[in-house]
Amino acid sequence: MTIAVLLKQVPDTTAKISVNGGRVDENAVSKWSFSPYDEYALEAALQLKESAGGEIVAITAGPARCEKLLRDAAAVGADTLVHVSAENINDLDSTQVQMLLAAAVQKSGASVIFCGKQAADTNAGSTGPGVAEIIGASCITLVSEVSADVGGYTATRPSSAGHEKVAVSAPCVFAFDKGVSEMRRPNVRGIMMAKKKPIETWSEADLGVDIGAPGVNIDSHSPPAEKPPGQKFEGADSVSTVVGKLRDEANVI
Amino acid sequence: MPYEALDFYDVDSLLTDEERMVRDMVRDFVDEEVIPKIEHACRDGVFPDEWRVALGEMGVLGAPLEGYGCPGLSYTAYGVICRELERGDSGLRSFASVQGSLAMYPIWDFGSEEQKQHYLPKMASGEWIGCFGLTEPDYGSNPGDMITKAEDMGDHYLLNGAKMWITNGTVAQIAIVWAKLDGVIRGFIVEKEDSGFSAPEMKGKHSLKASVTSELVFQDCKIPKDRILPNVKGLRGPFSCLNNARYGISWGAVGAAQACFDSAKDYALSRIQFTHPIASYQLVQNKLAWMLREITKAQLLAYHLGQKKDAGAWIPEHISLAKMNNVDIALEIAREARDIHGANGILDEYCIMRHMANLESVKTYEGTHDIHNLILGRHITGIQAFTREL
Repeated sequence: MTIAVLLKQVPDTTAKISVNGGRVDENAVSKWSFSPYDEYALEAALQLKESAGGEIVAITAGPARCEKLLRDAAAVGADTLVHVSAENINDLDSTQVQMLLAAAVQKSGASVIFCGKQAADTNAGSTGPGVAEIIGASCITLVSEVSADVGGYTATRPSSAGHEKVAVSAPCVFAFDKGVSEMRRPNVRGIMMAKKKPIETWSEADLGVDIGAPGVNIDSHSPPAEKPPGQKFEGADSVSTVVGKLRDEANVI
Repeated sequence: MPYEALDFYDVDSLLTDEERMVRDMVRDFVDEEVIPKIEHACRDGVFPDEWRVALGEMGVLGAPLEGYGCPGLSYTAYGVICRELERGDSGLRSFASVQGSLAMYPIWDFGSEEQKQHYLPKMASGEWIGCFGLTEPDYGSNPGDMITKAEDMGDHYLLNGAKMWITNGTVAQIAIVWAKLDGVIRGFIVEKEDSGFSAPEMKGKHSLKASVTSELVFQDCKIPKDRILPNVKGLRGPFSCLNNARYGISWGAVGAAQACFDSAKDYALSRIQFTHPIASYQLVQNKLAWMLREITKAQLLAYHLGQKKDAGAWIPEHISLAKMNNVDIALEIAREARDIHGANGILDEYCIMRHMANLESVKTYEGTHDIHNLILGRHITGIQAFTREL
């Protein structure tokens, strides 16, 4: 069994985001990290491999900087590393990225796919369902846990009454919400093995897929509006005004 | 505020990818498992056992040693590990220094094949803790005059004497003990259960409170013959260990200084006095600029020394300079940072006073600041000034 884990490199949650010329300035991003839901997906895939066997292929699409993400995935236990080379990833729309990822999944031979429910940068949430659609796989979203069963898999996801367990067979895509376990910390042995692991780089041509032109274009990015300055009230006379504002504007009392 | 490691000259860009991955691993561990618990550990005066387990699982113990379950990383990587651990707390770094450089290293370098196979894998995994007994109550900077002695009793050695200021002593399964056998300093592996051996903990420290410090007492302590380290005689044995530990400290001190700088910068930017952040005042900026200057220099010293260690092109005096300088500036930075924090600086809500108190020990242990100056003085002049006939 080959399990593909789709990973996306996003600006770290602690990195400052600045907008330059109507687009997020990637050169100003000081630190790149795993998208957090992808970490849950990777950890769950590692646990599935440990309990049911198999091999994990970590796949990411993006520019050269994404190779670090694959090394980090290898350090915690990913067996094969695939970099879908896309220097212009920000000019592609979600469907195009899904076409690349789906082609890479098929080329890798994986029939079980793990990914995060959404990426921490765009929050589009379309990768899991999109890839499933292209490769004709079942898709379970908001998954917190996956276990292997006879002939298939059982995924746990929230329901209106608490949790539901969903049985599914391959090919299938699991889009992860917050999982049961945080991604494990690597160790020195894993890091040293990751260093030696080759990264397979596949281009659009290698994958034999024509992703065409984007159907959706991002016009511009803009930073969130600045918070209005704080207001200052002095003296007992202002109590009723302050209470009114806390109740009606801030909604905190 | 998340921790931001000051690296003004981007010195870490000189590290290999592997070294940076090790850095990130240890930094995450410190953020997630050390920082939230350290003040509590200090108040209770304990070294949390889960840190031992985590260090073993990460595989950073005995980092630069190869074989026998040891990681075989570069000395530069070992330095980075020390820096990141000491950003959390000097006591945590001390634990790793003692385990790797002072307990595992002598077995690895001077032990028999059987000793290496028996002890090193379990020490690398953190299952067994080691300690290092050199200093005695009356012999600190002058270990050559130690009075702990071993006698050859035919089928065993008999150890008598006492060691003091021994990190990890009470919690260790094994102790590397240096004692005189027929007047010559030799290394012995003492196990916790050996008869005549006890390791009472020293209490009442104002420094390194999250680290266990002990006495080692030997009263007719019987040691099997196969527990002597066969391949070293004289002070070269313990000094070889200390070279590696002191090297790690030169990096570790940078981590403590970075932590203090980070806290001082954040505090200065958020603390308003006279209607403006204190960071906007020249006196405070002068302090921050000085910290940045000294940390940058210390980083470069540590990195270059690491390269020399990895190339095998080093002399002990190089290590003396880096240990002495980097601990010295880290302590001064901690004091200046405390000053910037004003009254808040004495609270354990901030890391600085803990680092300051820790660094007072670090300045003294592993060769005092002054002894390292004398080592350099001897190197410059060819004249030793440690002692004289009175």
